[in-house]
Amino acid sequence: MSTTAQAPNPLEEGLRRRRSPEPCALTIFGASGDLTKRKLFPALYALAVRNLLPPKFGVVGVARSPMSDDEFRERMKQAILDHARDEFRQDAWDELAEGIRYVATDFADQGGEEHVVKCLNQLDEKHGTAANRIYYLAVPPSAIETIVVEMGKRRSAEGWTRVIVEKPFGYDLESAQHLNEVVHEYFAEEEIFRIDHYLGKETVQNMLVLRFANGIFEPIWNRQFIDHVQITVAESLGIEGRADYYERAGAVRDIVQNHLLQLLALTAMEPPIDFTAESVRNEKVKVLKALHTPGPKHIARGQYAPGYIEGEEVPGYREEPGVASDSMTETFVAAKLYVDNWRWADTPFYIRTGKRLPRRETTIAIQFKRAPHPPFELDSEDALRPNVLLVHIQPDEGVSLAVGAKVPGQGMSIRTVHMDFLYGGAFRTSLPEAYERLILDCMLGDATLFTRSDEVEEQWALVDAMVAPWKRDRPNFPNYAAGTWGPAAADELIHRDGRSWRRH
Amino acid sequence: MTHLAWVPERWVDMATDTLAGMGEQHPSRTILLFPRPDDPRDALDGEVDLRCFIRAGEQGQVCSEVVSLRLCGPRAQAPASVAVPLLIPDLPVFLRWRGEPPFGDQSLEQLTEVADRLVLDSDEWSECDATLERLPELFDQIAVSDIAWAKVQPWREACASLWPGIAEASSLRIAGPRGETLLLWGWLQARLRRALALQHEPAGEVELVAVDGADVPAPRAERRSSSDHLSDQLEIFGRDRIYEEAVRGLVRVAA
Repeated sequence: MSTTAQAPNPLEEGLRRRRSPEPCALTIFGASGDLTKRKLFPALYALAVRNLLPPKFGVVGVARSPMSDDEFRERMKQAILDHARDEFRQDAWDELAEGIRYVATDFADQGGEEHVVKCLNQLDEKHGTAANRIYYLAVPPSAIETIVVEMGKRRSAEGWTRVIVEKPFGYDLESAQHLNEVVHEYFAEEEIFRIDHYLGKETVQNMLVLRFANGIFEPIWNRQFIDHVQITVAESLGIEGRADYYERAGAVRDIVQNHLLQLLALTAMEPPIDFTAESVRNEKVKVLKALHTPGPKHIARGQYAPGYIEGEEVPGYREEPGVASDSMTETFVAAKLYVDNWRWADTPFYIRTGKRLPRRETTIAIQFKRAPHPPFELDSEDALRPNVLLVHIQPDEGVSLAVGAKVPGQGMSIRTVHMDFLYGGAFRTSLPEAYERLILDCMLGDATLFTRSDEVEEQWALVDAMVAPWKRDRPNFPNYAAGTWGPAAADELIHRDGRSWRRH
Repeated sequence: MTHLAWVPERWVDMATDTLAGMGEQHPSRTILLFPRPDDPRDALDGEVDLRCFIRAGEQGQVCSEVVSLRLCGPRAQAPASVAVPLLIPDLPVFLRWRGEPPFGDQSLEQLTEVADRLVLDSDEWSECDATLERLPELFDQIAVSDIAWAKVQPWREACASLWPGIAEASSLRIAGPRGETLLLWGWLQARLRRALALQHEPAGEVELVAVDGADVPAPRAERRSSSDHLSDQLEIFGRDRIYEEAVRGLVRVAA
């Protein structure tokens, strides 16, 4: 009998099983915030619709606003109606709603955490969540430490515990190191899931597939064939009422430290030996360690003045509610970075990000070197442009390759055309939201798409070095009009190298 | 990809319904072949549609090309020669065969020759037992998918969760369509390497599976349309050895 029990299950073979998480309870700290409404609950609902949540599952919302369980459920239902990508299904909602609880508490007050623990214990009893806990910290950085300490002290001896920490993880290297120390006091690194939601995007993950599942790219993915790389994270929106946060963060902490450096690392990293969390993150950290700190001449920053976005007049940054009238916070950053290693030596990576730029766009453009000796008589050098492999992260997710083609006719005119792969044109309907993937991965204990402690510290080390000279100078802000591609200094930064930013 | 569908007259409406849902999920070129061997004309009638769907919550639209061809009279004898010039080069070709595959018939032989995968649905077959018995004849010619097999996946998972208690099972009771029932039966027999007595009650979908008199816990209900099931099959490429084994096991034990 014992032999049979230990034998592999023959019925499992060939089952294309979806990854199925163990029973657990997800506690969202900051449950009355925008992130919970716009992203987290719509993501949980999408997982529920697809039967991807564990059969025994509960959610505890924690925030200061007084509210009953029913009121919280009603708000979350409305959030799903407003923001979910799927049509509302009563049966899926009922199943999810049954395990939803709300705890009104302020962690600054003594005893708040006990209410949370009590609620979780009740969920364990009633919903069989097996003392498996995920704490989602959707709270300002200042609140993270208290919650980590209090919940860490009260972690259950049974089941597993994981902590998801929203960005920004710290404000600079010192604060990030301190936060890492505090978190590590109560949780092991494999229990900590630092979110950068860009890593949950299909197109960002496709960057790895594009590079490492296609034989044609990797041989030319180096300094010999690539002239330079441009990474753009452009937003047409302003700060959308987040002055408190943005005045402290600015573009460099809001976007460069996390999203932009992640995109750069994925573009520049060496092939990992496998797709496990450690292998992928080891390779990304190597890139971050190899990043050469740019000097002041290689960084441009800006702040938007009033202007026009899609025909509508919009205020300048200093006129936004809650922003100081003499604010020196940057809303735009461009930089030239070098990855000092064998593959990328002397190949510039130009990065830029900004608010109130002409359109929303996140792209990675790999510009290849020109053909060495085109045997054609051309009207101008511009007629034969270099090949560009353009990875569209958002919107219009996909990849396109710019190549020269003969214009039909008697002569030998050449025009650049695009070979396009658009996600929407090749695969099933809508792409999953990044938070769906990331929350599910956390439930499954897969940290591949999360940021490791050394990774986040390397990111901050670079950002600290970039911003250090800013304490000493006072640029003439605002220096670009809303609806333009940033300050003149950003153009000068790249023009000095005889190159220019992509415009479209 | 190219999705090739062989649609005898009585399947036209169902094929059109399934296609309407699938085009949105799987952008592709679909070539619908409507054989009309009894048509007195020697003719090929064709229509080309571009069906575009607005993508939910996103900009832009997804478009699928649908080529409908009526093969009249002797043209129905050489469907591959009609389809091959229309296949998208270098991308997979899926052949959806509605109804029972006519073993030995040249239309089937020709089309399996040009396709990478044959998609069947044993729930559609009126002579299910006999057709499944002959199905292994196709396994060395082309990779075969069966939509009924996809539908029983949650029940297979449910049965697998009962291991090792299920290892010595001797009887199986299933309320469900004949195709799905036989496939579950064949699979369990093949995987457990033992014969199981089957008690079958017809039903529109699998409602109950019981092993040795004990109900298998019903899997969580999932709403999946025919289009969803077909769409899933279009994402599978290699041969499904477990399915083949289930069908072969069924034949072996049944014989």
